[in-house]
Amino acid sequence: MINVDKKTKLVIGIVLAVWGAMTIVPFFWMILAAFKTNAEIVAVDQNLLPEQWTFENFSILFERLNFDVYFINTVIITVLSFIGLFLNAMAGFAFAHYDFKGKEFLFLMVLATMMIPGQVTMIPVYLILNQIGLTNTYLGIVLPSLTSAFGIFLFRQFFSSISEEFFEAARLDGASEFYVFFRVALPLSTPILAVQGILTFIGGWNSFLWPLIIANDQRYYTLSVGLQLLQGQHASNHALQMAGAAFMVIPILIIFIALQKYILTGFDISGGK
Amino acid sequence: MNSKFSKLLKGSAMLATLSLLGACGSDDADTGENSEGTEGSVDELSVWIMGDGNEQAQGIFDAYTEETGIDINLQSIPWSSAHDRLLTAVASGEGPDVVQMGSSYMAEFTDAGALADLTEYVESNDALSADKFYEGNINTTEIDGSYYGIPWYTETRALYYRTDLLEEVGYPEGPSTWEELYDASMQLSERGEDMYGFDINFQEQTFGFMFARQNGSELITEDGEAVLNEPEFVEAIEYLKQFTDNGASPSQDLGLELSQTFGGDGVVPMFISGPWSMTNINNETTDIEGKWSVRTLPEGPENNMSNTGGANLSVWSSSENVEEAVDLIEHMTSTESLLTYYENTSSLPARMETWEEEPFQDELIQVFGEQLESSEHMPVIEEWASISQSYLSTFESIMIGGADTQEALDNFNAEVQSMLD
Amino acid sequence: MKSKKAPYFFIAPALFLLLVFSIIPIFLALFISFTDMSLAGLADYSRVSFIGMENYSTIINDQVFIKSIQNTLFYVVFGVPLVILFSMTIAILIKLGDNKFFSMMRVVFYSPSITNIVAVALVWTFLFNPSQHIGLLNQFLAWFGVGPVGWLTDTDISKISLGILAVWRAIGINMLIFSAALQSIPDSMYEAAELDGANRWQQIWRITIPQLKFSTFFVVVTTIIGWLQFFEEPFVMTDGGPLNSTISVALFIYRNGFQLNNFGYAAAGSLLLFIAIIIATLVQFRIQKIDNK
Repeated sequence: MINVDKKTKLVIGIVLAVWGAMTIVPFFWMILAAFKTNAEIVAVDQNLLPEQWTFENFSILFERLNFDVYFINTVIITVLSFIGLFLNAMAGFAFAHYDFKGKEFLFLMVLATMMIPGQVTMIPVYLILNQIGLTNTYLGIVLPSLTSAFGIFLFRQFFSSISEEFFEAARLDGASEFYVFFRVALPLSTPILAVQGILTFIGGWNSFLWPLIIANDQRYYTLSVGLQLLQGQHASNHALQMAGAAFMVIPILIIFIALQKYILTGFDISGGK
Repeated sequence: MNSKFSKLLKGSAMLATLSLLGACGSDDADTGENSEGTEGSVDELSVWIMGDGNEQAQGIFDAYTEETGIDINLQSIPWSSAHDRLLTAVASGEGPDVVQMGSSYMAEFTDAGALADLTEYVESNDALSADKFYEGNINTTEIDGSYYGIPWYTETRALYYRTDLLEEVGYPEGPSTWEELYDASMQLSERGEDMYGFDINFQEQTFGFMFARQNGSELITEDGEAVLNEPEFVEAIEYLKQFTDNGASPSQDLGLELSQTFGGDGVVPMFISGPWSMTNINNETTDIEGKWSVRTLPEGPENNMSNTGGANLSVWSSSENVEEAVDLIEHMTSTESLLTYYENTSSLPARMETWEEEPFQDELIQVFGEQLESSEHMPVIEEWASISQSYLSTFESIMIGGADTQEALDNFNAEVQSMLD
Repeated sequence: MKSKKAPYFFIAPALFLLLVFSIIPIFLALFISFTDMSLAGLADYSRVSFIGMENYSTIINDQVFIKSIQNTLFYVVFGVPLVILFSMTIAILIKLGDNKFFSMMRVVFYSPSITNIVAVALVWTFLFNPSQHIGLLNQFLAWFGVGPVGWLTDTDISKISLGILAVWRAIGINMLIFSAALQSIPDSMYEAAELDGANRWQQIWRITIPQLKFSTFFVVVTTIIGWLQFFEEPFVMTDGGPLNSTISVALFIYRNGFQLNNFGYAAAGSLLLFIAIIIATLVQFRIQKIDNK
């Protein structure tokens, strides 16, 4: 990377710190609001820090939410959604490195799916799932959002930037196409895999719409749905919602920090493995 | 591989066709879980409640299960997604046995055939008889002469005011007429910059209609003719317009919570709202304890009619357990259950005799009880959602967009008329 | 040497799912757009009638729809360049720093994406408050004797305010994509440039930015698509107001379809939006091709 001297680094650091501080305020506010009373959240005088720290929001939350059930569902759905990550990677790899009949058309078709506003497809998708009998199943909940055009596109962009030579070398050794994909392409794609992993995790973790619509039973609700249930018809207890939101964000932070390492590893093209 | 792909295409096309056809015929198909019970006896009823149903009503259902041995499969639906969830239920034809219906949803979902006709039960069962409930609520369950729901809880709006501030301008009991409301608001707005008297709600879909009714407007006549540009309606809007024109009301959404506008110095010391705001003030605006009150709406030229809201309990049309479902509804709307429900949610009972119970003798609650005597629901027609939407933009354009009142209401009326025809 | 069948195996599962859950619904939407499908029609298909192009002819004369198109174009023109500029700048700055502190900044800039939308709405409503005593931004401007600005209440400014909010939310993910792409630029390229006497700016201009071409293309395409579907910000902040100054096409569609049950009308709106997005995307692909030659 470009060599930067200490002084420049300091200047960059300060710029980023100030900019970052402005960016992260709402996030901190969310976390801190979880420890405030609702009265304090809506008071005229606003402070970032709670006047009096309270853990009551959390205890109410855990008592009221069917927390154990929602938590397990959320984990199951998140894990299942990772299947989609591999499907996306495979498709992205194929679009980047093979020439096949109909490729342009099919890729445009993939992109097209990104362009239809989600609200329009909700009812048709529900009817289809209902017809195949997938209502009230985990499969029905994850299927509609398992693959994403965004993911396929991102993988394609990334794989396109990797030179063909890597794969040719493996093929000359007699490797199968699947071997090439799993053993050569995937390991090379760690930075993008990490980015996609974060997105997949967040998507699965926050899934709201399909668990709600596919379920005929609260047994299939996720944490997000549970959190929404806290919202009243006319008025809401913001403190309770923030406690829920703050709790839900912890696993995301952990995953982010864990996977961020892989975004940083990158790969060494010049080495020519 | 080409053939493989075309197979794939064919398969999916078939799937789509199937789903279309299947959905067409799904009305007479069996309805999944509801049909599991053996003939004559039911072991489970499914119920949809908006908001956190466990929190609100678990006790009521437990009592029912204990009494009858029938399990309740409760599904809570977040308020923000209630309409979407009901749409999908209409699309597939598969809904719960008992469903909570917001009173404003009644017309559209009844028109779509989603709700079962409960007329025979209302007429034969004394406990569910129409004269047991507030008229404003019964009107939302009765569509074209049939009943499609039983009123559950009710809401009406009254005037909240700061007693300390209103006393200073000579209205210790709050304003009792339109003239007094305006006079008090003007005086209060003269307390300084960014100080107002009364809140004109730009986002509330019933606000202008409510004032128009107080001025004698019918809104829509029995023959289905819109009269939203007649003098009764125009005058009411003109009356409200003076508030923003003269600084008695904020001409923009202040972007503040109730505790910030009503508490403290009382930036906006009067506003119209339902009983739920009492809970807010009690919990969050503790600095004005003893300095606020609620009264019935100020009398307009004709009356002081408020707006009824609330929710009904209905049976989904696909339910195969209508009789049992009605029995559950009877249990849920009994005085005992309504008291539990009130404790959990502060929702006021739509059943009149329940009001004789102790919790409703509270002075402020009584105000809402009194207001319910002069309160009506917005017209129960399926076009009302579109009309409300159109009202909001018209009202906004008059109040802050500088549009000519008569002209804007002429356009609005024409638009509404075209929706009705 | 490459197998002819392999690519089809690779794309089949993903494509199948997209076909069932996206493509088929698009065709259904197309079909619905020629009908007067309403809630009643959804329950009983015999109550749906074909009305040909009527939805389309009505919608192109609908003042609110036209307004929503203008607003959406404004969001795209205002927001997309800013998102790309900011997210690329931040990614490069973080990479330049290259130590623990700087990698922590990635989490910081990503935080808006993982902040609960209710919290986002509450905090920004507070920041944008029109009063000089309460609104933080207006308090700040008051120091310089400016304002107060009606961030969300002034019809000329509300669009810009929502744009700022949306840029703030969108930086995170694109910054991550740029960050990942930066890893694939081999150090040897910089070393060679340095030997040639290129300074830091020249290295950024001549190596970093050209090497980010692929990701930039990706980010431009996806950001434009995303911003053409601008929805959540006006939905939670202003509901399209005041006076429809912030309504977007997606919000217009949602309102007509889900709140007012005019599914046919909403489908017509979404098909028009769909076509607009396809055209915008094709144009970008064309530009990229010309660039590559």
